[in-house]
Amino acid sequence: MVERIKAELGATLKETPVGEADYRERGYHLFAEVASADLLNVARFFDERGFYLAALICVDYKEYLELVYIFSNHASLCKVKITLKIDPAKPVAPTISTVFDCAYWHEREIREFFGVSFDGHPNMTYLFLHEGIDFYPLRKEKIPVSDEDKKALGAFRPGEGEDTFFVNLGPQHPSTHGVLRVVLKMDGEYIEDAQPVLGYLHRMHEKMAENRSYLQFLPNTGRMDYLGPMAFNLGYVTAVERLCGIPVPDRANYVRVILTELNRLSSHLMWLGAYLADLGALTPFLFVFDDREEINDILEPVTGSRLTYCYFRFGGLYNDVDDAFVAGTRAFIERLRSRFSLYEKLVGGNVIFTNRTRGIGVITKERARKQAVSGPVLRGAGIPMDIRKSEPCAAYGEMDFDVPVGTRGDALDMYQVRIREMENALNIIEQALARLPEGPIMTEKAPRKLKPPKGDLYHTVETPRGELGIYIVSDESDKPYRMKWRVPSFSNLMIFPELAKGNLLADAVAILGSLDLVIPEIDR
Amino acid sequence: MEQIGNMIGWETVKMVVGLVGVLVFVVLNALILTWAERKVAGHMQRRIGPKEVGPYGLIQPIADALKLLGKEILTPREVDKPLYYLAPMIIFVPVLVSFVVIPFDASLQVMDINVGILVILAFSSLSVFSILMAGWGSNNKYALIGAIRSIAQNIAYEIPLLLALLPIIMMTNSFSLKSIVEAQHGLWFVVYQPFAFLIYFIAGVAETNRTPFDLPEAESELVAGYHTEYSGMRFALFFLAEYTNIFIVSAIAVTFFLGGYQGPFLPGIIWFLLKSYLLVFVIMWLRWTYPRVRFDQLLNISWKALIPLSFINLLITGGLLKL
Amino acid sequence: MTASPSAFIKGAGSLIAGLGVTIKAFFQPVVTSQYPRQLLNISPRFRSHTKLVADRDNPEKNGCIACGICVRNCPSGSIKKVEGEKREGEKRKTATSYLLDFTTCSQCGICVETCPSAALDFSADFNLAGFKREDFHFDLVKEFEKRKKTS
Repeated sequence: MVERIKAELGATLKETPVGEADYRERGYHLFAEVASADLLNVARFFDERGFYLAALICVDYKEYLELVYIFSNHASLCKVKITLKIDPAKPVAPTISTVFDCAYWHEREIREFFGVSFDGHPNMTYLFLHEGIDFYPLRKEKIPVSDEDKKALGAFRPGEGEDTFFVNLGPQHPSTHGVLRVVLKMDGEYIEDAQPVLGYLHRMHEKMAENRSYLQFLPNTGRMDYLGPMAFNLGYVTAVERLCGIPVPDRANYVRVILTELNRLSSHLMWLGAYLADLGALTPFLFVFDDREEINDILEPVTGSRLTYCYFRFGGLYNDVDDAFVAGTRAFIERLRSRFSLYEKLVGGNVIFTNRTRGIGVITKERARKQAVSGPVLRGAGIPMDIRKSEPCAAYGEMDFDVPVGTRGDALDMYQVRIREMENALNIIEQALARLPEGPIMTEKAPRKLKPPKGDLYHTVETPRGELGIYIVSDESDKPYRMKWRVPSFSNLMIFPELAKGNLLADAVAILGSLDLVIPEIDR
Repeated sequence: MEQIGNMIGWETVKMVVGLVGVLVFVVLNALILTWAERKVAGHMQRRIGPKEVGPYGLIQPIADALKLLGKEILTPREVDKPLYYLAPMIIFVPVLVSFVVIPFDASLQVMDINVGILVILAFSSLSVFSILMAGWGSNNKYALIGAIRSIAQNIAYEIPLLLALLPIIMMTNSFSLKSIVEAQHGLWFVVYQPFAFLIYFIAGVAETNRTPFDLPEAESELVAGYHTEYSGMRFALFFLAEYTNIFIVSAIAVTFFLGGYQGPFLPGIIWFLLKSYLLVFVIMWLRWTYPRVRFDQLLNISWKALIPLSFINLLITGGLLKL
Repeated sequence: MTASPSAFIKGAGSLIAGLGVTIKAFFQPVVTSQYPRQLLNISPRFRSHTKLVADRDNPEKNGCIACGICVRNCPSGSIKKVEGEKREGEKRKTATSYLLDFTTCSQCGICVETCPSAALDFSADFNLAGFKREDFHFDLVKEFEKRKKTS
């Protein structure tokens, strides 16, 4: 696959060379630098070959700005990094949102953080910083935003048309689980248009990363996705380990898998409860909390925390697990297995629930690829893609589990996929417990001060919500030069407007819930 | 005393005393039901519910009521004031009137009107007015959508509600609630009319805007529906009306299908309350089990399922009676 | 709703099954613990604010040598100031004040891990409450002395 793409891409690009990168070090197989005239062609090239736009990143190298497009594939592992250099004095690039829909959102983000203007983009308004800001926050130098730009960026106005009105779903609304705001243009009970408005929980983690050492940034990672912090911690520590070449002992890898899967369970359980609360049933919410507390009771004695664990360290773990943990986890596996039938009776089989969720929010495979959704949403749409399988980190490669997929791509499929994922997670934990090796939990080769070699890395892990991509540029200092977090909920949310269109308000809530969004992660 | 009685008529005195009694009962009932709802919800979710104020948290509803009474009465700036003020008051009229004709016991009934059930049905349609007034007057989109939903829902479910009661009326040849109860001296009508009972009960749950049919105030969609903009005592009135409505729906079901105040050993009033609160418990049980149905599904259930079924039931009953 | 009779019966069955679950739960014992009447055990690794532990050789004084590594490493800048003095007959300094601003601390534990003299540990103080921000500005040395007196 990689060879074929290299040859074909080389033929398309003609003059520009296509380089081959060490996947283990860089996280991508091929890279090429294109001219801005070629960019659309390249985008179409990847579109035709079934790639999706995994991430769109901007890096300020002072002399020039670099746009990094990471193209990836659901079917087989092949990642391509396409870069485009632009002039920092007059940053303009062509939009590829006409080819890949998800670029529409990424480009808006880059516009307000870097000031890069995208030619042909239909709606260059603020995505996060609706109050406006005087400078471009992620540029290395302080570049003031001109009043003209501010006006253009602040042009978003929810408008009421003839026979329509708009309804704010959020920022303070019971069904958005946080401070997401979606402006719905309604025709009676039917939705004509939906526009997500982000930024109510924006904390600029990416800028924080540039001002902290690698170790100091570790606690931040768990604060992005507060429901699945283990997976975010795992993604970050494995990314840095990969960048610096730090080995991890076996026992640590197994414990990482167990804890991440326990956390995935707790995240999915939380989703289940919250989703049913969205649909009007409050009792399942309390039932899942019963189970979730059990998980927290297992995790707390080990990690010392019940929510933002921050347990993994570069090269190992914060401290070791004991026999009580193993016994407790085994008991919990038994308990949760017996609870699935209860959930099936109370939720999954309930005719009201199935009628509410069947056939709504249908995501086709093609739309899932164009919008770059990931995780259970992608699998619900029928694409068997799981990064735990395709790019296993920690000890995932040694685990035996299947990838559940949906058949219809509707909200009910998302539910069933997540339930089966929970069963899978139990199996994975059981396997890992059975094979848990003895030994150290921390490598002895961990350097005291981390100064990764020069270069970049695009590292992905599977969080409870989908593909987490971490792009780190290192300049050999102890702080990352640029760190981009490609978060799953951000991409999953972006398919919401097209799913909501033409549906009832009640369906919008059901669809929004089925995407399993965590707002602090979207806003970062 | 006798003179005063003769002067204004015993009927009037009885009426006044009855109304005061009804008012006391309405408030007591709402207090008990809010407490019961929270306890039922708590235990169904394997937690305790209120427990701090008074034994088993029994004083909790009084504390809540005092809190609501003590709150500042807020009026949002852009509301349509007459409608906004009137709505919570009007919602109480049908509730009170319904109580007048319900026979709590053989002798405990404010008035036995010979068109009793018609009075209840006629007045219960009025509650839609106040919901619409609240929704429109609030000048709030959530409230307006909630009100619109409520109207469609009430109209859709009043028909099966009535159609489910009609077979009983045909069987007893009477609109008077008391004579309907008396007619069930032998067997309860639920035995003759199980389908009518089910249809009535489903429609009744929908009429009271309870889960799974709580669309007018669907929390996750419309924040609080038609009473989004109400707070303090005005909100408390809506709340009171909701719980009283639950009781009325149960009370009518008991009167029509479950033999009313009749039962062995215990006095009639105890039997009546026992049966009514059992049905109230079932309504709560439904709420803490099911998700909410969607709007189109809600209407479909009524127009495509309940109404045809109740018509069939009515026809069969009519045919059998003729034979 | 234009469902076949079998689907209708199945749907009704599912509704009854759901009712069964909740009524069963209704009669099962509660699973919640009644905080604050009833407190759960806090696990020994629980991470609350940090505390100073005694020196290994001399339990009378705290183990902090006022090197300032934790101050530099703290991601949130929560450790405001660490001061120490060299006492007679000792090789290293001993902390005289250790100011922690707990309002910004995220309990990540980097200070505990990087401490060269292992003088820091987490306390299990989980139900802190106060009316002012200043209530959470701790001087860990003072706190250490107080703990020493009470024990």
